[in-house]
Amino acid sequence: MATAVRFPGAPSGPAAPRRRRSVRTSLRRDGGRFVTLLVLGTLFLAPIYWMISTSLKSEADAIALPVQWLPDHPTIQNYQGVLADQSGLLLHWAFNSVLVAIVFTILYVALCALTAYPLARMRFRGRDAWFAILLASMLIPGIVTLIPLYVMALNVGWLDTFHVLIIPFLPGAFGVFMLRQYFLTIPRELEDAARIDGANALRVLRHVIIPLSVPALVALAVFTFLFSWNNYLWPLFTVHGEHQTLPVGLATAASRYVTQYGRLMASTALAAIPAVIVYLVAQRYLVQGISLTGIKE
Amino acid sequence: MRRFASLDSANPLVAYLFLLPHAVLFAVFVVYPIVSGISLSLHRYNPLAKDQAFVGPLFYQRLFDFSTPEAVNFWRSMAQTAFFTAVVVPILIALALFLALLLQRPILGRGVFRTIFFVPTVLSVSVMAILWRWMSADQFGLVNIALRDIGLPSISFISREWLAWIPIIVGTTWWTVGFNMTLYLAALASIPENYYEAAELDGAGAWGRFRFITFPLLMPATLFVAITTVLASLQLYGQSQLITNGGPTRTTQSGMMVITEQAFTNHQLSSATAMSLVFGLLLVVLAAFQFRLMSGRVRAAVR
Repeated sequence: MATAVRFPGAPSGPAAPRRRRSVRTSLRRDGGRFVTLLVLGTLFLAPIYWMISTSLKSEADAIALPVQWLPDHPTIQNYQGVLADQSGLLLHWAFNSVLVAIVFTILYVALCALTAYPLARMRFRGRDAWFAILLASMLIPGIVTLIPLYVMALNVGWLDTFHVLIIPFLPGAFGVFMLRQYFLTIPRELEDAARIDGANALRVLRHVIIPLSVPALVALAVFTFLFSWNNYLWPLFTVHGEHQTLPVGLATAASRYVTQYGRLMASTALAAIPAVIVYLVAQRYLVQGISLTGIKE
Repeated sequence: MRRFASLDSANPLVAYLFLLPHAVLFAVFVVYPIVSGISLSLHRYNPLAKDQAFVGPLFYQRLFDFSTPEAVNFWRSMAQTAFFTAVVVPILIALALFLALLLQRPILGRGVFRTIFFVPTVLSVSVMAILWRWMSADQFGLVNIALRDIGLPSISFISREWLAWIPIIVGTTWWTVGFNMTLYLAALASIPENYYEAAELDGAGAWGRFRFITFPLLMPATLFVAITTVLASLQLYGQSQLITNGGPTRTTQSGMMVITEQAFTNHQLSSATAMSLVFGLLLVVLAAFQFRLMSGRVRAAVR
């Protein structure tokens, strides 16, 4: 626990000693804070550590007692095993997931930009009502449309295709909301200059608004990619066989490797890597994006 | 070319043209499924039959007739989901706020700690759930190894009623608390530093500064965090399905699990749709109620 340190009032006196004193007290205060962070950080890292450690053990070592905190005989045979298993099914699922996530992200971000622009910038009848409807639609829980959408997909023959993983999610309102909020912060003068030069609305969007919105667009793209990459419930019931994506595939792998903990953890670690890389690369945008969504009006 | 050039934003038709693609998709994949879902729940759906028999509110009546298994399973899972939410939401708010306060001011390794707490949120539910199933495995799971090391008996989390909630709750906390922490960090960054300086001059201690500056000014953020966390927790699915598979004896089955089981295991799509509409209505009403309740407090706190 960070301890409460009262600042001595000391309204008068030379500045230098006071500053030294406040540095000393803040060091004492930060000590407790740092130790707390260290303990919590260790607890948070423990599952990841245990996953990697298990994945590098032979199956016998994974369940050996006393426990091996570090593998006694580290091996990559589990990784080789799961990558070769069922002629590389894990990589096949990962490829499907990447493909679906990239296509979905491009379409979704473009559609949201196109939709958010008039809502932020143009004056027309019904604008605020439409925006309110889109906002309200974000409150509709996914489960309400799950089964009707499944019946639709069944009727048009979309089950077990990539379409069913992409198209029904395109009208999500979150991205429209996020981009509209960002577009509102762009000064109008920049657009007016382009418009005087004879640019139409689509050109203004492409050549003025989009280049000025890169941070918001990247943040939205990262959210969208991760949403699609991690989507579990809908693909679980709509896609089987060759179009299956990684989260569902991993769950089926888990039922195959029930007692093979080394292989199970190797698959899990491999499945975790792409999202972690996306996060590390785009961390700044992601954090900005989160702060952009909720609280700011 | 001239016609295209007249596509400027002064022409109101242009706005509608921009909105059209999204509006069409919205009508087909959001509005139509809701309408067809209502219709589906009033018929006995059979994918092979040409005409679906109209049964009226039969499936809704059954949900309130406790001699039917679907009513028993549905409402029991609702109660269990409510239990999960009641336990996990206070943890997810308090721990997120605590982590954000720890990281509010600069400290050695701040970026690293922020990454450590946030990184689990980018993992898929299957990665998280498989990991926590292994963490809480009977003999060789890390949790039980740690329990034995400190001299406590090991616990069969997955196979004991009620105890099976522990890996689900702990795993969910680990998985999602970083997101709320990030929201709180953004809100903390927007509190002007001179508020704290003024309070310090008035002799306010750390607790006083938190109680009278930080906490009230964070109320809008807390409102947002609370509503999104409650809604997400009530839609518990993957953690239960993959860590405990709803067991033992259905005690960790969530509302979403019962609905999807009714739809895709029992092939009772109409009954499942009725369940999902009742469930969805409860969620929306709850969110609205919570919003009204808490926004009153936000206004009081800001004033």
